[in-house]
Amino acid sequence: MSSLALRGWYRATALLVPLLTLASPGFLKLGDVGPAWAVLWLLPWALVDGARSGALAGLLLGLVLDGLHLGPISEIPALMVLGWWWGRMGRKGLPIERSFSLGLLALLGTAFVGLTLILQLAVLGELQRPVLYTWLSQTLLTALLAPMVCSLQLLFWRQQTSGGRR
Amino acid sequence: MQAGPRLRLPPVRLILQVWPLALLVLAGVAIRLSKGAGVADAYAVLSRPFWPGTAQGEWVKQAQRLEDQTRLSQLTADNQRLRQLLQLRSQPGKELMAPVISRDPGGWWQQLVIGQGSIQGVTPGDPVVAPGGLLGRIASVTPTTASVALLTDPSSHVGVWVARTQQHGLLTGLGSSRPVLRFLDKDPGVRPGDVVLTSPASTLVPPNLSVGVIQSVNGMASPAPEAVVQLSARAGAIDWVRVLMRPGRP
Repeated sequence: MSSLALRGWYRATALLVPLLTLASPGFLKLGDVGPAWAVLWLLPWALVDGARSGALAGLLLGLVLDGLHLGPISEIPALMVLGWWWGRMGRKGLPIERSFSLGLLALLGTAFVGLTLILQLAVLGELQRPVLYTWLSQTLLTALLAPMVCSLQLLFWRQQTSGGRR
Repeated sequence: MQAGPRLRLPPVRLILQVWPLALLVLAGVAIRLSKGAGVADAYAVLSRPFWPGTAQGEWVKQAQRLEDQTRLSQLTADNQRLRQLLQLRSQPGKELMAPVISRDPGGWWQQLVIGQGSIQGVTPGDPVVAPGGLLGRIASVTPTTASVALLTDPSSHVGVWVARTQQHGLLTGLGSSRPVLRFLDKDPGVRPGDVVLTSPASTLVPPNLSVGVIQSVNGMASPAPEAVVQLSARAGAIDWVRVLMRPGRP
């Protein structure tokens, strides 16, 4: 089997994202702000499975997470872009394996998700809230967790696909 | 020369006979002048075993409680009748305990998820209270869960008042831990420490639920003064909440 997306078992791991988002364990929070679990799952998935699969996974994750959250702002655009970008990076560039690289990509990705949310809040005229704190906390926390979480996922999923990077 | 009349002392025998009587008379005068001192005290000491016991005091207190409850019921009935006449929100019909199964009070969305949903009769808009006071309102429901928009969420707007000054305002979430109270009057006369309650005029939430305490007042805000409110119910440390189901619902 050459694609992760074709294996139901691996697709089912995406269910961990909404579950972890809802559970939001207290010991993995920074000032009441949890990490972006969607980014932590999507990064290795897209790197292994390509741009199209990454964008689709981003869309599905965004739909599920938007359903769980209140308010009109959405994570779908950012997650789709990130899935596409990371998928292309995984297919065309050098293999990304270093923990630092994964942490940096997660940092950029989470910052991008936060920026799109801030942009939507600004458009809706709700930018009176202190978003900077939430944005920084989530970005830093996700970047710190990415080397541990994403490395293991990347290693495992690459072992499951024939040839790893295509 | 004849001597004058001589002072004659009472005979010793007479004195010995009347001195106990004289003492009694003196004691009677002392009691009279002291308004019964000694006698009443002696009576109190002697009659102490026969004083009314605590049981009788409890009967009196019980009767007082019964009277208070009757008055409370009467006032509540009057209040509800008057509120119906004014078409205001009345007291909730039923309460439902619900566990908090997910909380996100500090992220992009200020919300809780509770473990009771539409199957149990929870509907969007139902107020949710916790130890300390009002926590928020139900924003959406699934068959077995419901999302609670906290008072800190920017989508939250609740009518409140400061009972001390009877000044009404609108409590609006800012996305931070402390919502802002925007008064309707230009001179609300409030000060830090004043207690904020849900407004009796609110049609969304029951009246006079505790909301929080005013932390600071900005009298220069335009068009009317604002106050930052420290909420009394802490969303981050609550495991169970009560959903106040509105009357007229199943």
